[in-house]
Amino acid sequence: MQQSGGSETEVTWEDQQNINKFGRLNNRFHELEDEIKMAKETNENLEDASNELILTDEEMVRFQIGEVFAHVPKEEVEERIEQMKEVTSKKLEKLEEEKDSVVAQMAELKKILYGKFKDSINLEED
Amino acid sequence: MASSSSSPAVTERRGIPGASFVHDVQTYLTESGLDVNSALAFLQERLQQYKLVEMKLLAQQRDLQAKIPDIEKCLDVVATLEAKKGTGEPLIADFEVSEGIYSRARIEDTDSVCLWLGANVMLEYSCEEATALLQKNLENAKASLEVLVTDLQFLRDQVTITQVTIARVYNWDVHQRRIRQAAAAAQDS
Repeated sequence: MQQSGGSETEVTWEDQQNINKFGRLNNRFHELEDEIKMAKETNENLEDASNELILTDEEMVRFQIGEVFAHVPKEEVEERIEQMKEVTSKKLEKLEEEKDSVVAQMAELKKILYGKFKDSINLEED
Repeated sequence: MASSSSSPAVTERRGIPGASFVHDVQTYLTESGLDVNSALAFLQERLQQYKLVEMKLLAQQRDLQAKIPDIEKCLDVVATLEAKKGTGEPLIADFEVSEGIYSRARIEDTDSVCLWLGANVMLEYSCEEATALLQKNLENAKASLEVLVTDLQFLRDQVTITQVTIARVYNWDVHQRRIRQAAAAAQDS
């Protein structure tokens, strides 16, 4: 919060709640960005894995389950990877949607808060 | 968490003191009997306390967030063992003996698994019991994480309220000084 030169704009409880909500949304926004980055990485890894699978001619593939690498037949591994790709894609979609919603809400709040406080408030990233 | 616009009266949550909202700085200072500097010092101290609690909660959150994928991996392994049960084929797995060194294991059909319970204790369970236990642990961990996240949100709100109050008290003080200066200048002229 910037400290202005002694302005007299009153801060009501509703304003405080808006500021709180903006803070929360901002936090959630950064969390979502991290989660989206990780989900994208996982997707890429799964893509690479399934590409490698196509290239290999071994019957048994060592597939990581928990902490061990189990010997699993190639088709089963392909199925599993397809499944994992679907799960990650859906998760990524949901995260992107939530991020869009958060960004929209933050824009709304910025309008309201800047409207009332103008220069007395700073809602940008440092 | 949209609270109503009426009086904000969440005094505390699970040991975290709530920051009371100041409707009017003048009234706040008169009622508390503090001068501006003491009020600012008090609020700053509150802010530091909040920061400490925040660090603690963040650490707990990281622990839980690491624990949950762990439990899910265990559930995966038990499920794989159970799936292999009917087929009569052994499960061949490569596991890490030490960094970079792997060994091969042949796991025959089995009805039971052993689970690490922590504190150097490992217990043998049937596959179904193991799945049930792991499932329960997973749900507990997820529930704890949810509570923790809500705590953190509450805490961050209190931090924001305190920061805004500090700014307002400071601004009010600056404003008062300006008024006094202006009054003094008017008197002199």
